[in-house]
Amino acid sequence: MAEDEKIKILIVEDEEVICKAYADELRDEGFAILIAKNGQVGLELALREKPDLILLDILMPIMDGLTMMDTLRQKDLYGKNVPIILLTNLSASEEKIMQAITKNEPAYYLVKSDWNLSAVMEKIKERLARKV
Amino acid sequence: MTSQTPEIFYKSLFDNMTDGLAYCQMIFDAQENPVDWIYIRVNKNFEKLTGLKNAEGKKVSKLIPGIGAANPELFEIYGQVSLTGKPKEFETYVKPLSRWFLVSVFSPQKNFFVALFQNITNRKQIEEKLEDAKIAARNVLEDLDIEKSRVEIAHAKEEAMLLSIGDGVIAMDEKGNITIINKTAEKLLEKKSEAIVGKKFFEVINMVDEKGVSIPLQKRPISMALAGTTTTTGPAYYYMRKDKTKFPVAIMVTPIILEEKIIGTIEVFRDITREKEIDRAKSEFVSLASHQLKTPPTAIKLLTERLLGGKTGTLTEKQKEYLNDIHSENQRSIELVNALLNVSRIEMGAFTIQLSEKNICTVVQSVLYELKSIIDKKQLRIEEIHQQKNILLLIDEPLFRMVLSNLVINAVNYTAEEGTIHIECKEVNKGEALGGKVLAENSFVVVVSDTGYGIPKNQQNKLFTKFFRADNAREKQPDGTGLGLYIVKSILDNSGGSVWFTSEENKGTTFYVVIPMTGMKAKIGKREHADI
Repeated sequence: MAEDEKIKILIVEDEEVICKAYADELRDEGFAILIAKNGQVGLELALREKPDLILLDILMPIMDGLTMMDTLRQKDLYGKNVPIILLTNLSASEEKIMQAITKNEPAYYLVKSDWNLSAVMEKIKERLARKV
Repeated sequence: MTSQTPEIFYKSLFDNMTDGLAYCQMIFDAQENPVDWIYIRVNKNFEKLTGLKNAEGKKVSKLIPGIGAANPELFEIYGQVSLTGKPKEFETYVKPLSRWFLVSVFSPQKNFFVALFQNITNRKQIEEKLEDAKIAARNVLEDLDIEKSRVEIAHAKEEAMLLSIGDGVIAMDEKGNITIINKTAEKLLEKKSEAIVGKKFFEVINMVDEKGVSIPLQKRPISMALAGTTTTTGPAYYYMRKDKTKFPVAIMVTPIILEEKIIGTIEVFRDITREKEIDRAKSEFVSLASHQLKTPPTAIKLLTERLLGGKTGTLTEKQKEYLNDIHSENQRSIELVNALLNVSRIEMGAFTIQLSEKNICTVVQSVLYELKSIIDKKQLRIEEIHQQKNILLLIDEPLFRMVLSNLVINAVNYTAEEGTIHIECKEVNKGEALGGKVLAENSFVVVVSDTGYGIPKNQQNKLFTKFFRADNAREKQPDGTGLGLYIVKSILDNSGGSVWFTSEENKGTTFYVVIPMTGMKAKIGKREHADI
């Protein structure tokens, strides 16, 4: 499949090794990958490249994931509707995360350390299928 | 009065006068010492007042035997008056007659005297009693003085103690009027003693909650003390300073009870701003540290999964085995960090309790099954008793599992090999006793006991304290965190349950977990995370 026909996924993650693991796995699964190391770069890339799905870390320098999601959702129609999966090691019982998720549907939240790579892949495919 | 009547007049006067009268002749010895007298004439009242009959013509020494020794002063006085003619008046107690007399004596001619007298025994007795009463009263007053100064000293001591104490102290009467406020309280509340003493505590000292909303009178700890209960508060109470800023206080109020009546209360309070800050800083640190600690094992986890997934090439069996080991060990460290994060969340009041109806027996069995490997490793015997097989209870299952597995893991860790762990699930009714306590409501109880090392008596009160580990526990199991029982207690305290224990060193420990039959209490985590 030509690179520009592939489904595009943006990974916004400041931890290089974690980012590499997801990126490699997703490439093996046949996705095109965009990478940003903080929310600000992630926001620019998202608006310019319009990926089909965003994997978004929360705790990052310069701009955190929740701020990026808020900004993106208010930007335009694309930003409002693109599926986002929040990847974090913060727990779901944190009120701020829960509020952000409810406010920013379609968003999904998962704890990195609790989820296997294959389960994350499943979740991504499921989200993309719902979009179509 | 005519000149014909004096004789009759005098006789009548003599016989009818209320005083006693005796006309006597004094008898002197050769040296002119008075030694006796003879009663020449006595009037009617003489007999009545003295009790002496037929006195006329008799010597006093015969009439009143022993008079010379008992009242020598009478001889002295009468003798002198008879010789000198100088009248005299005196009071005397005549011992042989047991009477008091007021005597007025004069001499109509040398060697003779007339004694006019009144019996004043009654008056004297009254006077004596009065004197006694006076002495008694004086003694009482002296005693009172001593007691007063004693009380004053004690009072001064108490006041000095009260004023110099490092905690704020406010004493009130039974109506809640301030009677004493010490220096620390003045300083903390920024109020002068003279401005608030005598005024209603509720009116002059405002108490607010975390949001700055005034706490109503009936919810203030002082109301509980005035109702007779000693109360200690948690960190939800705040007092205000002059500039309307608030500070958190820990309060203890105690009623002052005299003869079963509440006569006032004492409130002791402490500014806990610093403790709260430290606690929060500590929690934030743990939370952030836990998060950061999870990042490296997460990376290891993901890359191991990539390798195991065969995406990077085929692995030999040995490589697969090692990678599986790496993966599961890595998972353990993630779980450890999760436990630490749980503590931090519990401390910040941020955890949520979500209830669902569960079969307790099944949950207990599955927790024990999970721990089977560590139980078997120490060859411990498990005795599991379920009073009923199908008890459904509203619980937060993950939290309940955490409670139970912490207790069982402790029992395993602190029991020597081949010991016994006994787990019993039962219903206990309100009013029944359990492990030294009486249950306040119908409850479901899980009893976890072991035949282990026990908890030293002098450390038992600290057992549920965060990071606390008993000396013998440290020795037997050096790598514990001191968090397990703290988590257990925090979970139960927050969910309407309770936990306590009995223990004897080298015999074993028994923990009692109590959940109301109505179930755990749901709770929504409120406080937001510190680091986002």
